[in-house]
Amino acid sequence: MNHLVIAPVLLPLLAGILPLLPRHPTMRQRRILSLAATVAQLGVALALAAEVSDGEILVYPLGHWPAPFGIVLVADRLAAWMLVITALLALFALLDAIRGADTAGRHFHILFQLQLFGLNGAFLTGDLFNLFVFFEVLLIASYGLLLHGGGRERTRAGLHFVVVNLVGSTLFLFAVGTLYGVLGTLNMADLAVKAAATPPENVPLIRAAGLVLFGVFALKAALLPLHLWLPTAYAHASAPVAALFAIMTKVGAYSILRVYTLIFGAGAGSAARLIEPWLLPLALATLIFGMLGAVTSTHLRQQAAWLVVASVGSLLTALGLNNAAGIAAGLYYLPHTTFAAAALFLLADAIARRRGELGDRLDPGPAITSPRLLGGLFFVTAVAVAGLPPLSGFLGKFLTLRAALDHPFLPWVMGAVLAAGLLGLIALARTGSLLFYRALPSEAGAAEVWPTLARETVPIIGLLLLGLGLTVGAGPALDQTHAIATQMLQPQAYLQAVLKPGGTP
Amino acid sequence: MEALMALIIGVLTACGVYLALRARTFPVVLGLTFLSYAVNLFLFTMGRLTIGQPPIIAARATGYADPVPQALVLTAIVISFAMTAFVIVLALKARADLGNDHVDGRREP
Amino acid sequence: MSLPLVVLTPFLGAILAAWISRQGRLYAAWMAGAITLLALAGLLPLADAPFAGQTIIQRCSWIPAVGVDLAFRLDGLGLLFALLILGIGLLIMLYARYYLAEQDNMGRFYAGLLLFMGAMLGIALSENIIQLLIFWELTSLSSFLLISYWQHREDARNGARMALTVTGAGGLALLGGFLLLGHIAGSYDLSVILASGDRIRTHPLYLPMLALVLLGAFTKSAQFPFHFWLPNAMAAPTPVSAYLHSATMVKAGVFLLARLFPALSGTPEWSWLVGGAGLITLLLGAFVALFQHDLKGLLAYSTISHLGLITLLFGIGTPLAAVAGVFHIINHATFKASLFMAAGIIDHETGSRDMRRINGLWRYMPYTGALAIVASAAMAGVPLLNGFLSKEIFFAEVLGAAIPLRFGWPLPAAVTLAGAFAVAYSLRFIHDVFFNGEPVDLPKIPHEPPRWMKVPVEILAALCLLVGIAPALIVEPILAVAVAGVLQESLPEHNLAIWHGFSPALGMSVIALVGGGLIYLGRKPLFAFYERHVEWLRVETLYDRLLNGLFALAGALTRKLDTGSLQRLLFVTILSALVLGLAGFISVPAPLTGVRTRLPVDGVSLLAALGLIAAAIGAVFLHRQRLVAVVLMGAVGLVTALIFIRFSAPDLALTQLAVEVVTVVLLLLALYFLPQHSPAKPHPSPWVSHVLLAVAAGGGAAALAWAVLTRPYETIAGYFLTNSVPGGGGANVVNVILVDFRGYDTLGEISVLALAGLGIYAMLDRLYLPGPQRDAEGRAWDPDLHPALLATLARLLLPLALLMAIFLLLRGHNLPGGGFIAGLVTAAALIVQYLANGVAWTHARLPWNLHALIGLGLLAATLTGLASLTFGYPFLTSTFGHWHWPVIGEFELASAMVFDLGVYLVVVGATLLILIHLGLIHHASQPAAATPIPDPPVRDGGKRDALTPNLASTGRGEHGEAR
Repeated sequence: MNHLVIAPVLLPLLAGILPLLPRHPTMRQRRILSLAATVAQLGVALALAAEVSDGEILVYPLGHWPAPFGIVLVADRLAAWMLVITALLALFALLDAIRGADTAGRHFHILFQLQLFGLNGAFLTGDLFNLFVFFEVLLIASYGLLLHGGGRERTRAGLHFVVVNLVGSTLFLFAVGTLYGVLGTLNMADLAVKAAATPPENVPLIRAAGLVLFGVFALKAALLPLHLWLPTAYAHASAPVAALFAIMTKVGAYSILRVYTLIFGAGAGSAARLIEPWLLPLALATLIFGMLGAVTSTHLRQQAAWLVVASVGSLLTALGLNNAAGIAAGLYYLPHTTFAAAALFLLADAIARRRGELGDRLDPGPAITSPRLLGGLFFVTAVAVAGLPPLSGFLGKFLTLRAALDHPFLPWVMGAVLAAGLLGLIALARTGSLLFYRALPSEAGAAEVWPTLARETVPIIGLLLLGLGLTVGAGPALDQTHAIATQMLQPQAYLQAVLKPGGTP
Repeated sequence: MEALMALIIGVLTACGVYLALRARTFPVVLGLTFLSYAVNLFLFTMGRLTIGQPPIIAARATGYADPVPQALVLTAIVISFAMTAFVIVLALKARADLGNDHVDGRREP
Repeated sequence: MSLPLVVLTPFLGAILAAWISRQGRLYAAWMAGAITLLALAGLLPLADAPFAGQTIIQRCSWIPAVGVDLAFRLDGLGLLFALLILGIGLLIMLYARYYLAEQDNMGRFYAGLLLFMGAMLGIALSENIIQLLIFWELTSLSSFLLISYWQHREDARNGARMALTVTGAGGLALLGGFLLLGHIAGSYDLSVILASGDRIRTHPLYLPMLALVLLGAFTKSAQFPFHFWLPNAMAAPTPVSAYLHSATMVKAGVFLLARLFPALSGTPEWSWLVGGAGLITLLLGAFVALFQHDLKGLLAYSTISHLGLITLLFGIGTPLAAVAGVFHIINHATFKASLFMAAGIIDHETGSRDMRRINGLWRYMPYTGALAIVASAAMAGVPLLNGFLSKEIFFAEVLGAAIPLRFGWPLPAAVTLAGAFAVAYSLRFIHDVFFNGEPVDLPKIPHEPPRWMKVPVEILAALCLLVGIAPALIVEPILAVAVAGVLQESLPEHNLAIWHGFSPALGMSVIALVGGGLIYLGRKPLFAFYERHVEWLRVETLYDRLLNGLFALAGALTRKLDTGSLQRLLFVTILSALVLGLAGFISVPAPLTGVRTRLPVDGVSLLAALGLIAAAIGAVFLHRQRLVAVVLMGAVGLVTALIFIRFSAPDLALTQLAVEVVTVVLLLLALYFLPQHSPAKPHPSPWVSHVLLAVAAGGGAAALAWAVLTRPYETIAGYFLTNSVPGGGGANVVNVILVDFRGYDTLGEISVLALAGLGIYAMLDRLYLPGPQRDAEGRAWDPDLHPALLATLARLLLPLALLMAIFLLLRGHNLPGGGFIAGLVTAAALIVQYLANGVAWTHARLPWNLHALIGLGLLAATLTGLASLTFGYPFLTSTFGHWHWPVIGEFELASAMVFDLGVYLVVVGATLLILIHLGLIHHASQPAAATPIPDPPVRDGGKRDALTPNLASTGRGEHGEAR
């Protein structure tokens, strides 16, 4: 057995615990610890990715109890992919946070690391109830992070975010409970086996449970009409937190992909392809409405948040095509949109800080300091976010459409994706022209201290470089996501890997 | 008995939903608590109803209730307790920051 | 140099130019020129191949999986365009160096120009159409930067955004078109696509694909109805206009038509769409151009018109038409570039571009005048100039196309009319500007520009003449190669002579020349007419309306959807869940009720249930009396505990009880700070829909529970029952599951609890919330905060409670109990101390660092799990053994117990942290009361203890997170 599988969970957990112990470290030590832990997680994630790159599926039976009785961690290509993306994002979010945002309130680094604990746990677990538990971990950590720093708007946004997610958790429990009550198990592989063999009189129950579960994941992923919580929450989180939250919606997308290719996949008999009629139409609607929200936004952060909604739309459109090419396209698009959105949030903050009381409001204001650098960064970020050539966003769009060519929905998909592209273009062109071109003449041209400016922009540039890497290395990246997609669409390997010892009685 | 259980779960859910939809933070908290009662009972009953057979291994035991849902519910209770505590304090914070206890921080008309 | 390098050079050059401009204003210009020469030098050696009839294709792999490679292609057409782009680019750079003013940022200008040049080269030299599309969009982006160069001017900003929006939209359509094209042809490589014309033309997707591709081409080359962005792009510096609108940007569209000519042309759809758009644009542009007062405006519309002419030629679709098309691309590039530059010179030297003011410049700048006259004569299609030649073939081809058609005659008439208007506006350009009286109050006294500013114009004007006089000599070779590149086959029979004899085409030319003269003479009434009926020709207004409509719609929809109301949010969420669940349930017909034998209802249970239901419903009705509601909620909780006991779940019952106590205490504490009542009349909320939703949700939950409860099922429970004692070393299966079988869940669960505690602590940090001085009925609180009786009882109770807790903790593995329950009992007992004896008293005697407690608990649990790793077992593997201790006797120890201890510590720590700090708000919020709290014994290097509310003092900086 390979203990590497548990490392992505234990590292952040320990990094979150240590600062609590009686010898409470100084802020400097906390930062170093947090940073080290995050770097280590990146290393572990990469090692794990290398480990499973040959299609092997690592199963880690916690407590040495065989599946389906004990909880197992399952590291396959998809899990590793998500872990790597999370670690990379976390690294740059943290680099931004340690510039001072982490002193705005208590326990930032503990919350941050335990958020990663929740995320990594959710990506690795092979047990549905355990998925619920780790959803709760990452949620309560995210509550703390969202409220970090305090402030009127943040509290209001936090209240909404928390309450709606509590309802979501309740629904999750209803769904899991029903599945246990009917199928008598919790392990996802075992659920898949049992679901495929459900007697007809029980099929309606598991279908109902499956769709309620979809509702829960859709809420996490901010799929229309369950996206309404996102814009306020993301728009009011502090910059590094909003950047980290770029991965949160992806957890919902991940869960949808995982559960509905495994438990309710093509092999699930009468419960197969449960969400197909729902996912694609809703995703397209989300895409359009998200872009409309971005077009009409009055603040840059708000616009960034709406663009996150739209990106969820494109991501789930690709996944919703439910063919290998589509899933591969979606999984290629996922890191791009995560990094791009994070960069935009960080940039929005950098810009807002230079516009005095005007903040990130989209009104012509005084010329900001070091406009060349920030303007350039905004241009690149906007190109990435709007999915324009030559950056990875364009490739994601292209791959998605290409995957849709043989899909009956082709006209709809193409229409929506292209229209959304235009809307994004209009929205961001307006924003850029407002922020950087219509700047009122002012004497604020004072050059800034280079090191601080560098520390401020390095995370943004880093995230953008990741996107560039995805573009240049599109070939290998796409091969990777294609490998993931094929693995997802043939769950037999997963089932055998998890249930091989003993199997179900 | 099953019908009674279903009825209880239904009533608790309904009360929870209604209260959660109120415009004040306090009833919303109550509503969420009711919802957690409902879902905990629901989860519990997924092991079906058994009387007088606690899942504690004993020589003279005639049978055992399904322990799994009980364990799950225990976890769920803890988590919902943590969440309730959090949302209660958040309600206080909202009261402090927004100046009233409306869920949207809106002033009265 | 290889093709990729040729394309890459300008991109790298852009960075260089931007960088070097820091060293000195003019360096950027020289750098840009050098870069262009370098690219040219790199390209020319490769030029032999096309002349030898070969096509160079160089590729490096990029995304092989989807057939997208970096593939470059050099054939005649590509070569011609590359030469135009680089050659005219070079002239533009020389010109701009004199045109730009002191305050203009040279680096930014030349960087943008090089960027754009690289993108154009990419279009011209792409083999893979997806790669072509990437460069296509890059031209849109870089042209945005160029047009908005004078960003302080609103017209520049809007013009740039309009150009970006229109061409960007076209680019998106083109993406769709290319996807379909590649899908049809089976490859994104031009060589394959150009070879499979028949397959493409007969494919069912041909028409949508064609439409999308043409959308791309038309938006780019400003064909009606997308022409409007071009005049608005005139806000750009003149060198930019001269470059974008003569040789490059707008030519990309017609380039695409030429490029895909063999694959797409030859169908009626093609002829109608392309020819139609071309004809309308030709006429519209020529007509509107005459009435522009702005020099550049006139040139802009004439550009539109000439692009229409070229498009129309490709629409006609005969090989000879293609020849004329390519030929006119060359000619238009030369004379239009020189005209723009001339206009720029005039603007530069007179400070105005308004033809109503700049008259009679011949006396001031005859040299420039002469050059301009040559160029505009070429534009008008006067013999001995290049424009005449291409127009001749154009007329001939139009005739050839019109004759077979029934009622075809309007076509030649129309193009002749367009020709006449072209003559008219060219006349106006010459006459109005250089003659026609004296200048009208110009800002500057006009004079000839600096020597080198004229050179580019001279060269181009010379070209117009040379080509016009000796076409066969000057242009024939490159034209032949280019056309071969277009048609992908040998050149059709044609002859570029000045004199074709008395052909109908010549007649049309004569009519056009004469008619043009007449139109110009009779312009006064025409102007009047135009002024009156101008609006319907302005598509801009439509565009603006569309855009504003879009913004309005977006705003309306978003506001409609996102009201920022939590109630709305929850309503939608719950409703969606219900709809989904219902949809899932009814999707397959099956009975709701199962076949499992049910338990009979007994009186006690019935009573309890009725009590619970009554309490719950009562809480709903009385939720405005908050205290009452809390009490009723507590009752519900208690009955729930009873239910757990009834149905064989003692652990759950204990837990439920403990949680209930703490929760109620929490709620009461909270209630102290919140209004005691909800306002009787809540502001209008759609409570009917809420009731309906609630009932539906309840019904759903009940139905689901019923359906499951009445069905038999198989479960994995058996395994746990059989393995609990032998494998987990505990008789209490639930506890063994919690700390062993599913200990990982519990690890997550206590993390949640810990996080809740920490999060709440962080939230309460520096929270100011004074409690009311009087209770709801307005009575002051009892001055005796800590009644003696209660205090004494509580103190007596404490040891008992703690003992009880330890007992529960230890037996948990085998009998109901366990870390969580024990923890809550402990916490409750301690809370009672706080309630009874007051924070200060208890606090002084309980100097715990709760954060450390939580940390230690989590650590204990984690380390227990980690220990198993050292034995080579997976995380959280448990072990246990039986020891015989003297006195105590047989005693079992399981590693899981340590884990449970961790749970216990976390529960105690988190619960106390929450409750105490909640209790402390009141003190914290009242400075008077805050002081009496004594600081507990100083430990840990003199840091303050967590229990004291850190009011701002240590809130920030180094110790910002000190626990």
